[in-house]
Amino acid sequence: MSARTLRIVLIVLAVLGVGWAGYLTYVHYSGATPVCSLKGDPCAQVQKSVYSELVGVPVALIGLIGYLLILGSLLVHEEERTRLATAALALGGFGFSAYLTYREVFSLHKICEDCVASAVLMTIIMCLSVWRYLRGGVGAAATAPASGPEPATPLGAAGP
Amino acid sequence: MSSSIEDDEGDLTRKQRREQARAQRKALEESHAAAAKRKSRLTLLGIIGAIVVVIVVVIVVAAGGGSKSGLPTSKHEENATVAEVSKLVDGIPQSGNAIGSPTAPVTLKYFGDLECPICKEFTLGALPSVIDKWVRTGKLRIEYHSLETATREPEIFKEQQVAAYAAGKQNKAWNYIETFYHEQGEEDSGYVTENYLDGIASQVPGLDIAKWHEDRGDPNLANEVETDKQAANNEGFTGTPSFLIGHTGGTMSKLSYPGSPSEPAFVDEAVEKLLKSS
Repeated sequence: MSARTLRIVLIVLAVLGVGWAGYLTYVHYSGATPVCSLKGDPCAQVQKSVYSELVGVPVALIGLIGYLLILGSLLVHEEERTRLATAALALGGFGFSAYLTYREVFSLHKICEDCVASAVLMTIIMCLSVWRYLRGGVGAAATAPASGPEPATPLGAAGP
Repeated sequence: MSSSIEDDEGDLTRKQRREQARAQRKALEESHAAAAKRKSRLTLLGIIGAIVVVIVVVIVVAAGGGSKSGLPTSKHEENATVAEVSKLVDGIPQSGNAIGSPTAPVTLKYFGDLECPICKEFTLGALPSVIDKWVRTGKLRIEYHSLETATREPEIFKEQQVAAYAAGKQNKAWNYIETFYHEQGEEDSGYVTENYLDGIASQVPGLDIAKWHEDRGDPNLANEVETDKQAANNEGFTGTPSFLIGHTGGTMSKLSYPGSPSEPAFVDEAVEKLLKSS
């Protein structure tokens, strides 16, 4: 996969994450019942539980901020540091999703499909962004000197 | 002439060899540089991953609801819980696992697990309003029944539920249940110990602790927990809290709640409807 394609895929996933977390934040603040196909409406139970907030901040809002930061790191000029920033943010988001899933499964004994969808999305973003960071600037490496600063890959530039 | 050509060929070969050697050296250097870069990236990600793990563990511990044991850490906290529970239930008749007048026209059966955090949400969120509005006024009677969901160990579950029912032998089950939910500990932390159950009992005003200890050994109470389980299974209940409501002594119907059980509206509506139809 070219650097450009990978970056576009990550941007699309981050936008989806922003939309999803934004919806969950709206549900939290408006008191609306979230869309849930599971019997017994576990989504609402999870999202209104004691674990729906962390030190008074809704976890959905924390997720929204996380996705926005990831999106921001993808939209700036691509270089080694921004790829690291995306990977680090995604790792943080993955850790947070793991914590929330732990709470769902072991504390609340409820599975919220909205939350699982967000966790899956964050896991994919984490895997792709870590891979992207580890492989470096693919395409740029062919013309770059063996050592020294790595050239950036602008979004418009076609990769191999 | 021929010697000159051979020299030229020899020079070319040497040149080619030099170039090949240079290219190989360059490729090797690049490969080493790439490996070093990959290693440094992996190290950096490893450090970030470790930091994330530490932060998550800190959050799990810190957001676990304060004291893991659940019991108050100061006399002030203990007094506050006792005062709150007493204010809620004092003056209302209790009998066994039930609170409210035996002649109340409506009965609500509450299936709960004392370690279940959503039951805590219902008990601390909706129940105070329900008790004040309907139970204290003699219109509703609430029975507490046991259904194991959050508690991992069946033996611990039986011990804790029987502890509440034993307080019911002195008509103080609801003081015990309310205090337990107020001081519920971190789930899966193993906080329900003999010391914890004693600590809850010590906060029930007027409870004869020696008799309570003795009553905990009553096999009928353990059977009651088992009977509750059968009743819940018959209704198809798989989670807690679960509810049945109906006219006292009449047919009971399932009462579900939209979303969170922390709002009393779903109970209010059901009670109003039953009172109108009685």
